[in-house]
Amino acid sequence: MTEVSIERLTKTFGSARAVDGISIRIADGEFISLLGPSGCGKTTTLKMIAGFEEASEGAIRFDGKDVVNVPAEKRDIGMVFQNYALFPHMTVDQNLAFGLEMRKIAKPEMRSRIAEVLDMVQLGGYSDRYPNQLSGGQQQRVALARALVIEPKILLLDEPLANLDAKLREEMRVFIRDLQRRVGITTVYVTHDQAEAMTMSDRVVVMFGGRIAQIGPPSDIYERPENLEVAQFVGQVNLIKGTIAGAAGPGKSRVACVFGDVTVDSRTDHTPGAAVTLSLRPEAIELKPAGQGGAQGKVTARYYSGSIIDYRIALDSGETLHVQTFPNIRIAEGDRVSVHAPADGFWLLGAAK
Amino acid sequence: MKRPVLTLYCLLVYAFLLAPILVVVGASFNAGNFLTFPPQGLSLRWYVTFFHNDVFMRAIRTSLWVAAVATVISGTIGTMAALYYVQHAGRWKEAVRIAMLAPLLLPEVLTAIALLFFVYAIGIGTTTMIGMVAGHVLITLPFVFINVSASLESFDPSWDMAARSLGADRLTRFRRIMLPLIKPGVIGGALFAFIISFDTFTISFMLKGIGTSTLPIQLFDYLRTNFTPEAAAVSTVSIALTLVVVIVSEKVLGLRIHRF
Ligand SMILES: Nc1ncnc2c1ncn2[C@@H]1O[C@H](COP(=O)(O)OP(=O)(O)OP(=O)(O)O)[C@@H](O)[C@H]1O
Ligand SMILES: [Mg+2]
Repeated sequence: MTEVSIERLTKTFGSARAVDGISIRIADGEFISLLGPSGCGKTTTLKMIAGFEEASEGAIRFDGKDVVNVPAEKRDIGMVFQNYALFPHMTVDQNLAFGLEMRKIAKPEMRSRIAEVLDMVQLGGYSDRYPNQLSGGQQQRVALARALVIEPKILLLDEPLANLDAKLREEMRVFIRDLQRRVGITTVYVTHDQAEAMTMSDRVVVMFGGRIAQIGPPSDIYERPENLEVAQFVGQVNLIKGTIAGAAGPGKSRVACVFGDVTVDSRTDHTPGAAVTLSLRPEAIELKPAGQGGAQGKVTARYYSGSIIDYRIALDSGETLHVQTFPNIRIAEGDRVSVHAPADGFWLLGAAK
Repeated sequence: MKRPVLTLYCLLVYAFLLAPILVVVGASFNAGNFLTFPPQGLSLRWYVTFFHNDVFMRAIRTSLWVAAVATVISGTIGTMAALYYVQHAGRWKEAVRIAMLAPLLLPEVLTAIALLFFVYAIGIGTTTMIGMVAGHVLITLPFVFINVSASLESFDPSWDMAARSLGADRLTRFRRIMLPLIKPGVIGGALFAFIISFDTFTISFMLKGIGTSTLPIQLFDYLRTNFTPEAAAVSTVSIALTLVVVIVSEKVLGLRIHRF
């Protein structure tokens, strides 16, 4: 199998730097997501790995071998496109056979490999259908099968679920993830949907403006965002202003804020008195009836959405909070509440680069 | 507008357009000696005369041959030009388009005269068919170009990328992915080219050499001195040939077009 290493990869279009010196090491069999807002260079990065775009600078290595000068058709890559890109004049079977024919695989082996992969994507009886005779989800799975049947070194997917409806999208997430685990293929997945990146990936690469803001496992990205930009892009977040009150043991700082003094991992050596920003996720906050300690405030809005309820809270100190709770507590709009935040719910944000 | 009125209106327009053809076809079955409609008695005698007329037979062969050659040449050049236009022309796109459509925009007689001067200037003259075929290629090229570039515009570049990632080289991608997918445009363009070439008068008239008259020219020559229903028979056969070409291509090649 294959380890991919990307080193200071850059792509310029005229004077614009679409991808600006990114480096990623992808382990063999790892599932990596490139996550970021529209235009941050995800597709461009993927196209450079696939060989559809030439890198302006930097190296791409498969198992240590630089492939920058290897044309796309020789890179041995399986690619799944946002619009599936199934060949409309070929049946499912012919679509799958195409890559195998290019590799001069003998007929009997071809048959058995196609049957096996179709089985894997649960499309056993569909081999004689044309793409336009399939539903979106089925086409998606054919595209996946076509990429996998050639047993490529690497699987690349560019927003493969963007055209599916919400329910199917969630099913396919799990489906692709399970399939990838079973096949054990090194995978790079492009998406601008943070939930998708979180559920599927071993590690997430968060990109902004052609640069990497953070690389790490989903829990790190969510719970320990590098900076404000990442925190805001990955889920919802409350930003709490505070000032450094002093040190609190090795690697810890005490920060004074509206919730009193809280202890957080100190990530840069802040001097006492420095203004900082803490992040606090909406679901970490607990609401209690008024007068039970904590910060005091008033519910200004309440949005019910089945599994959770969203609240907007105006604190007496002037800040606005976004809170998510299970619907088992009944607090109405206009109620006064006590707001509690657990000590480990705070995270000290670095300045955005 | 109400539906029945619209229907009636359409029928009238069609009748107006098709009536001359019906008259010609009707007149060709004339038993009399003159080109009249309605025919004076029904007979196939003028078809017999026509099929025994060597001059007309040679003209039909010439027409078919020129149309076939011109179609192959302008089909190839037009397709390549369309490929360049859609995929590589960049900022020359508009210029390429105008150049390709120029023969359609210029009066055919101007094109014909210019070409006539040209073939004499470079010494080819009209002793061979080169000049005439070149003329036919010139006037049929825009039709191939328009049809093929229209179908190329709807060709999704990610099909090509998918084929590349699957390991297909440039030639394989063209042969197995692009060509089948733009085939409707290529066939449509070629059909147009064939029919236009088979029908054209001006270009052939200017550029024909001795004994290389096409059917429309021969018919014109004939009508200058004769006025028999044989002319109608010639026209009817020529209409039938055009129809046969369209229908056969639709059936043979078209079946696969409508598959997706
Ligand atoms: N062929 C090109 N010529 C010029 N600029 C380009 C080209 N391709 C991409 N860009 C620019 O490079 C930047 C990154 O584009 P890219 O397609 O990689 O974004 P993305 O992260 O995939 O966005 P999205 O989520 O919208 O697909 C964008 O600003 C885009 O305008
Ligand atoms: Mg993209």
